[in-house]
Amino acid sequence: MTLTETRPEPDAIATGDDFGPTAPSSPHQWTPPTGLAGILSTGDHQVVGRLYVLFALLLSGLALVLGVLIGIERADIDGGFGLFGQANELFQIFGLYRTTLILCGLVPLFLGLATAVIPRQLGASSVAFPRAAAAAFWTWLVGAITHIAATFSYGGLGSLQAGAAREQSVELTVLSLGMIGLGLLAGAGVIFATIVTQRPAGMDLLQVPAFSWSMLVATGVWLFSLPVLLANLVVSWVDMRGADAQGFGGGDAPFEQVAWAFDAPQVYAWTIPMLGIVAEVFTSAHRSRPQMFEPMAFIVGVFGFFSFGAWAQSFFDSANPLASDAHIVTNEVVFTAFGLAIAVVVLAYGGWLAFNAVSAGQRPRITPQFALIAISGALLTAAAVVGVLRVAEPALGVLREFDEDVWRGFFDAMDDLESSSLVTGVMNFAVLGGLLAAVGGLYHWAPRLLGRPLNVPLGFLSVLPLAGGAILIGLTDVLSGLFDQPARPYETSGIADIDSLGFVEALNVIGLIGSIAVLGGLALVALNVARSLTLPVEAEADRGGDA
Amino acid sequence: MADIPVGTPLAAPLARQRTLLVGTVFGTAAALMYFAALFGVYLRERSDALADGGSWIPAGADIQLAQPTVAAWTMLMSVVTMQWAVYSIARDDRTHAILATALTTLFGFSVVITTSFQYTQMGLVADESIAAVLIYTISGSHLAMIAVGLVFLLLMAFRALGGQYSSRQTDGFVAASVFWYAVVFVYVVIWTAIFVLK
Repeated sequence: MTLTETRPEPDAIATGDDFGPTAPSSPHQWTPPTGLAGILSTGDHQVVGRLYVLFALLLSGLALVLGVLIGIERADIDGGFGLFGQANELFQIFGLYRTTLILCGLVPLFLGLATAVIPRQLGASSVAFPRAAAAAFWTWLVGAITHIAATFSYGGLGSLQAGAAREQSVELTVLSLGMIGLGLLAGAGVIFATIVTQRPAGMDLLQVPAFSWSMLVATGVWLFSLPVLLANLVVSWVDMRGADAQGFGGGDAPFEQVAWAFDAPQVYAWTIPMLGIVAEVFTSAHRSRPQMFEPMAFIVGVFGFFSFGAWAQSFFDSANPLASDAHIVTNEVVFTAFGLAIAVVVLAYGGWLAFNAVSAGQRPRITPQFALIAISGALLTAAAVVGVLRVAEPALGVLREFDEDVWRGFFDAMDDLESSSLVTGVMNFAVLGGLLAAVGGLYHWAPRLLGRPLNVPLGFLSVLPLAGGAILIGLTDVLSGLFDQPARPYETSGIADIDSLGFVEALNVIGLIGSIAVLGGLALVALNVARSLTLPVEAEADRGGDA
Repeated sequence: MADIPVGTPLAAPLARQRTLLVGTVFGTAAALMYFAALFGVYLRERSDALADGGSWIPAGADIQLAQPTVAAWTMLMSVVTMQWAVYSIARDDRTHAILATALTTLFGFSVVITTSFQYTQMGLVADESIAAVLIYTISGSHLAMIAVGLVFLLLMAFRALGGQYSSRQTDGFVAASVFWYAVVFVYVVIWTAIFVLK
């Protein structure tokens, strides 16, 4: 028997489930909506990815504006709250800076790049659940806008004013943050399912490109982190709905409940995809393929494991003195181990990059994306190294459980680091490093993402303020932390403990200049994207990038 | 199109992607992590309250074990019917698959009703103690999880009615069963940690 008949064209086969019954095709050709209706109803992963990137860049810019406002306030520490008027308003903006920078800026920027790029990296036609990807994006966006609006309506994650009537906007702030978390979780689920199920036959997980691998690890860690954040928010919200909050929804407890998401080790978890972007841009710049991929994949996996930080929150600590000693020792030993391990893993990753540079045997092609990922790698290394100082106090605490006077005197300077702005420095180094890597990824994949490359001279022009500003922000936070500047600028009780107030204020002014510089750099990136969109779309064959 | 000689072995069929199953496992793991966090806070608060010599459940509240035990047995029975549905669809027995899904749905509804009835009986005021806040948060979240599970089950039943699932394609039922087993598991933990230990 021979098969000689021509199979029917795919158009003639009814669409729907591959295993379901077929239906006759419609005689009327359906045309997808265009314009605003098209954008609102799209399930195209490229469009959803672009929307993520666009709004994440805008909201990152807003976060940096908030950073500038906080910087202006900190330039005159002992002058009262000159700009904000009250501690509570500074507290609101302080919380919003963190939620906006990480959950409305960095994480969705990675998700946007992943939504647009990963299907192409895997050879898939789309993401696993295109409509869920769109629903995740709109949930996140509506949540983010509501969160910002609620905070500016005298909301925020709690209130410092004891006994004051609770603002409904505080409840809305908490609820909208939950909506952001839900959207990000759904987006992460889509990317996870895409990488697991949409690979072509014969491609195993260790053969996917570095960015896809890093997103697989990242979404895995976010899968375990974001539900904990949601649980914290739901408990706060339920508690604050009653007449008298019992402890989870009162005062600044809502912020305390979610503070772990902005501190080590969890803050590293938000930056996991940068390891994949750095690997891809780095090897591309060296015109080579990644060597020793499996060790790199292992390093990224270990980094993901040690960056999981949902357990490191005070709401899991016991207040019972009998139980707390053993618990706190265990907790702090683990906390210290995680902090040290992250530094080792980041150094190992640097070693992998160095090995690839030597293996390539040629100088890298210097592009804006290469410069950005080089600086972002340096920022992550700085975060990990400063993170070792971050765990010095818990480590000393453990040792002093056994010997009260151990290293007393020599290490006394470490005693207050846990509550100093050094903690903010770790966060800023890591998150701004992630942001720079994401912008590097945007330059790298722009031909695929936007259909046109980004302008190279304008790209180099944006690198300088982005890199310089990010270094200034992180470095001044760390240095002022060593002089005991409190991590939370609204807590005036710590001002008296600051050594060399004038010097710390000068550092804060330099940090403020850094914030303005990063903001300017981001504006140049936005200008570059806007400029490229005015150019004609390149033919598929002419597009660069490695997606 | 080129002729294919007689006797040419057919290529092995491509493995199905199981996208729905992977997505459901992701969502289920997220739900379990959510409850793990809630139980972490609950057990820590309870431990602190008891260590201080006080009582965990506030005076005036009467949390009976009868309704939660009935609900727990109902949930456990739903495991049997859920697995019956998966077993049936894998053998092209749609009638039994839909019947078993309907029974599972019925069990789920009855747990919602039992829990709602218990809320009216236990006299626990939500904003008067930490215990009340946490109990309502956990059990309320579980009711929401049941609701999601019921919608999932009904959707799968309707798709089975439409002939979409068979022994060649069981993913929808398997995915719904994974989520439903997680619903049952969480209730067993609630029954133990909240209602038995009190």
